[in-house]
Amino acid sequence: MKTVKILGSGCANCKKLEAVAREAATTAGVEAEFLKVTDMKAIMAYDLLATPGLVINDKLVSSGRIPTQAEVRQWMIG
Amino acid sequence: MDFFLHLVNGGAGNLAAYLAAHVLLCLLPAFFTAGAMAALIPKASITRWLGRNARYRVSYPAAAAAGSLLAVCSCTIVPLFAGIYKKGAGLGPAITFLFFAPAGNILALAYTGSILGAEFAFARFVLSLLFGIGIGMLMAVLFWRSDASHDAQTDALFAKQASIGPAATGVLLSLVAVLIAGTLKLWPLTATVGTVTLPLPWAEAWQATLFDWVPFDAAKGEEGVSVQGSLLILLLLLIGSTAWKGLEDIVEGANRWTWVALCLTAVTLLVAALKLTPGPDALEVALTGRALAVGLALWSVLHHARRLDADAWRAWLWEAWRFVKQIFVLLVAGVFVVGVVRQLIQPEWIQNLAGRNDLMANAVAVVFGVFMYFPTLVEVPVAHMFLDLGMHRGPLLAYLMADPELSLQSILMVAAVIGRRKTFTYVGLVAVFSVVAGLTYGAWVDGVNPAGIAIGLAAFVGSLVALLGWLLRRRQAPAHA
Repeated sequence: MKTVKILGSGCANCKKLEAVAREAATTAGVEAEFLKVTDMKAIMAYDLLATPGLVINDKLVSSGRIPTQAEVRQWMIG
Repeated sequence: MDFFLHLVNGGAGNLAAYLAAHVLLCLLPAFFTAGAMAALIPKASITRWLGRNARYRVSYPAAAAAGSLLAVCSCTIVPLFAGIYKKGAGLGPAITFLFFAPAGNILALAYTGSILGAEFAFARFVLSLLFGIGIGMLMAVLFWRSDASHDAQTDALFAKQASIGPAATGVLLSLVAVLIAGTLKLWPLTATVGTVTLPLPWAEAWQATLFDWVPFDAAKGEEGVSVQGSLLILLLLLIGSTAWKGLEDIVEGANRWTWVALCLTAVTLLVAALKLTPGPDALEVALTGRALAVGLALWSVLHHARRLDADAWRAWLWEAWRFVKQIFVLLVAGVFVVGVVRQLIQPEWIQNLAGRNDLMANAVAVVFGVFMYFPTLVEVPVAHMFLDLGMHRGPLLAYLMADPELSLQSILMVAAVIGRRKTFTYVGLVAVFSVVAGLTYGAWVDGVNPAGIAIGLAAFVGSLVALLGWLLRRRQAPAHA
């Protein structure tokens, strides 16, 4: 069971990132819980300069861009 | 009912005129350029100058560059602002970044330039840059105590280094070339190279129909829709529908629709650069220097884009598409509403309130800017409406400086990061600086002796420097005691 957090204030990129991450979790067969983090203070607790940010099991794996499904699958499995 | 129809007609006419004329040649390439900046310029290439140990000679210009190159939407502005403030160079550069981003980004510049004139865009750019750095420094000095104690974390966030690859540089420069070739009103771009006459007997009748649908009054600054304009609106609708299919999932790869949408975009830019004149029984097509220049610049974009790797160009197209979705829809709605409102405002009201360049007019413009909230870029057609209704260009600049900086949304956002006291100081400073900017530019427009303006500005800057010096001494005094 992985915990996946989407960091972002709800702009278009955050929604896109969530869709990509959910799709990747399904195709990789990984059970994951998705959390949306929209509070600025909570977001800034991670080291990032641009949203959207993707956090898997409390580790920031990408920020400021939308990774591809293949990339997210790798992070989910690893 | 008639009155209501009249209003709707005003809105639709304004929208059609904007879509047909202004928007295309500047906004279409501007969206692609903004997308390329967001996707192809690695943030670390600028943010590494914004670490906590950066000297102020480096950090303030870097903050302005970040505002101009990296920040078009709040997705980037808020986290970067908070990051610079809390973990990087501190309050001053963060404020400079925040102030300069809405005025200095490529979309705002291109749009302001094409609607209000290149000179106005230049004044907005330069004065925002100067005053953004000025306000940043003032804030840093005023709040030096809390700035010195901001949380001591590692500098890792700003330590990364990166540079822009040659292909990305080529794409960016070529896109800027498209933008310039499409918008500048200069010889040889305006020259006619040759003409072709197409036997289209319906062209003149169609033009008459268009003027009938969108009646306009040139005296009120309204614009009609030409035959060329109607063709461009059609192309724009086609791009919209194909882009939806081709660009929505671009992150995973391109499909047929992607290429259709991109080709249509190129065709639109080329058509917009031609000059179409409907005559009796024929449509005269003039090949302009502009069309040649746009074609050349587009070829250059393609040439460099082919050397980008797949991730890079996909990210570029996605960012461009995202900006279109995010900004264009609001802009269309905004332009429509502006067209409606224009029918309701009497020019005398505006002329009485802000027809002259004095303190009162500039202050009114700034207050209006603070209390009105318009979505990104909609402030520009609003400003255009005021200009047509007789507002002086000085107060207009004051309004344009204050409006995007001081919307309620941005005040709340800033307050959440830096606290209320600093935010209110910032709001006050922006108001004062906007009034000064308006007065300065207004005086220049009125043809006041440049030396006089220079002396006035020098006096303002001088008193600021004196104030800064006094505050600095006050801050050092307790340290010696």
